[in-house]
Amino acid sequence: MSPGRIALYITLSVISLLMVVPFVWMVITSLKSPVEIASQDAGLLPGSWQFSNYVDAFRAAPFATYARNSFIIAISHTVLNVLVASMAGYALARIRFRGSEVIFYLFIAALMIPTYTKVLPEFLIVRFMPLAGGNDILGQGGSGWLDTWWALIIPGAVTPFAVFLFRQFYLDLPVELEEAARLDGLGEFRIYARIMTPQVKPALTTVALLTFESSWNNFLWPLLVTRTDSLRVIQVGLSVFKTENGTQWHFLMAGTTLATLPMVLLFLIGQRYFVQGFATAGLK
Amino acid sequence: MLMVAPALLHASLWIGLPVLAAVVLAFTKYDVLTAPQFVGLDNFRDMLDDAVFRKSIVNTVVYTFFTVPFGMLLGLLLAMALHTGLKARGIFRTAVFLPQVTATVAIALVWLWIYNPGNGLLNALLSFLGIDGPAWLSSTTWAMPSVILVGIWQGIGMKMLIYLAALQSLPRELYEAASVDGASKVRQFFSITLPLLKPATFFVLITSMISAFQSFDQIYILTDGGPANSTTMMTYEIYKSAFREFRVGYACAQSLVLFVLLMGFTLVNRRIMGGTRGHS
Repeated sequence: MSPGRIALYITLSVISLLMVVPFVWMVITSLKSPVEIASQDAGLLPGSWQFSNYVDAFRAAPFATYARNSFIIAISHTVLNVLVASMAGYALARIRFRGSEVIFYLFIAALMIPTYTKVLPEFLIVRFMPLAGGNDILGQGGSGWLDTWWALIIPGAVTPFAVFLFRQFYLDLPVELEEAARLDGLGEFRIYARIMTPQVKPALTTVALLTFESSWNNFLWPLLVTRTDSLRVIQVGLSVFKTENGTQWHFLMAGTTLATLPMVLLFLIGQRYFVQGFATAGLK
Repeated sequence: MLMVAPALLHASLWIGLPVLAAVVLAFTKYDVLTAPQFVGLDNFRDMLDDAVFRKSIVNTVVYTFFTVPFGMLLGLLLAMALHTGLKARGIFRTAVFLPQVTATVAIALVWLWIYNPGNGLLNALLSFLGIDGPAWLSSTTWAMPSVILVGIWQGIGMKMLIYLAALQSLPRELYEAASVDGASKVRQFFSITLPLLKPATFFVLITSMISAFQSFDQIYILTDGGPANSTTMMTYEIYKSAFREFRVGYACAQSLVLFVLLMGFTLVNRRIMGGTRGHS
């Protein structure tokens, strides 16, 4: 190995270490006792490994409920986004109809709108959803979709980004495929479902992974639309251990580890697709 | 047409309508409980007198100015290092990308702990070197740099990845020809690589700026905008106006300012970079 190579390896190792240290630190801290965490001169590793922190954290806060809620929402978003966005992406890519160009540009425009321009009115729409949560037809009187699954799932279900990504993938498919199916007398929806969609598996996986990831990690929206513990999601639920009267670090780190673990695992398993998806999203 | 309908309906209700509503509400006084009241440009006039909001604009720009270019430089360097065909590049790539897939909330909580003045990792390391570390997040001097460090740290992965994908698509022949002509590696980088990376650079720049401008989670967890508003950002002020002070009209006006600033920066960047956004 040349000296340059060795230097490169060392530099990259140091940088990788810097990226990973907080995670390692988090896991180690989750296994320490509160006394040890508070002490100034305790060693880096726990003196005694407190695996019970995880069990106790579950007892101190309804983590199982938080995790279940996050899971339900992330799965719903993933299924809905893959389904609805792929249909839209297919239609925009392969079917010529009046206004398709305009609709495509509307989706592009939607991509560029900051979350914060939309989030307040979105909240108001949820709050004043007609005929829901005790609201009358004009959306007055009750609490609308606040504190309901609808609010957690519906507004974020379909992303213009997924529509855009699917369109790009469908555009690359050969025309012959479609023509053969048409000669066989298949309807447009069948061509989409049976012939074309199986060809864009990388897009399906990419959108599924990205959707699940952002849904699982979402914080602000669930924070705004839920009040009750039974509907809290894991990212919001974590903050119960950070209170005005001090923070229960051992529980907080155990909870944070639990909230992080599924995403890290999913990333390790689906790394190839994640990488490909992010790259495609950026460069097409 | 029927196949676009669900997506279009969803986008109209949850993107189109909210944007229209934000624009309209920006010219009203609205507290959610009573009906909105048209007040013309009052909200925008109030903003001029709002020292905290002005401070948040400055903070947002400072935060963006430090996280985006430094993150891009580091991301590019890392991408180039990983592009050289190292054996362990998969491991390095995973390590660098890890913070990107982790929730900002989880990351901020861990950093909150690292920055803890009493028993945090950072001050433990510094005391090892004989340095007395400050109370990072409760010091008006150090809070902003601390937040910026977390921002750079978390954002490198994505930037690296896009650069890596771009590097892998560059034509090899150009480099061979340049080598034959006797161009040095440094020369090759500045005359071939950098110009060809322009579309990728533009994309990274825009997406990073959009997310830097909208930082919220880390502020909410790390500092609550403090101490003395030294780390408050535009999005955090919008959140405060709307959900703590119930001044929804004012918050909408603030988010319009955010939107206009973002669009402005994007257009300026596009002008500078020569408008190289290649897509079909």
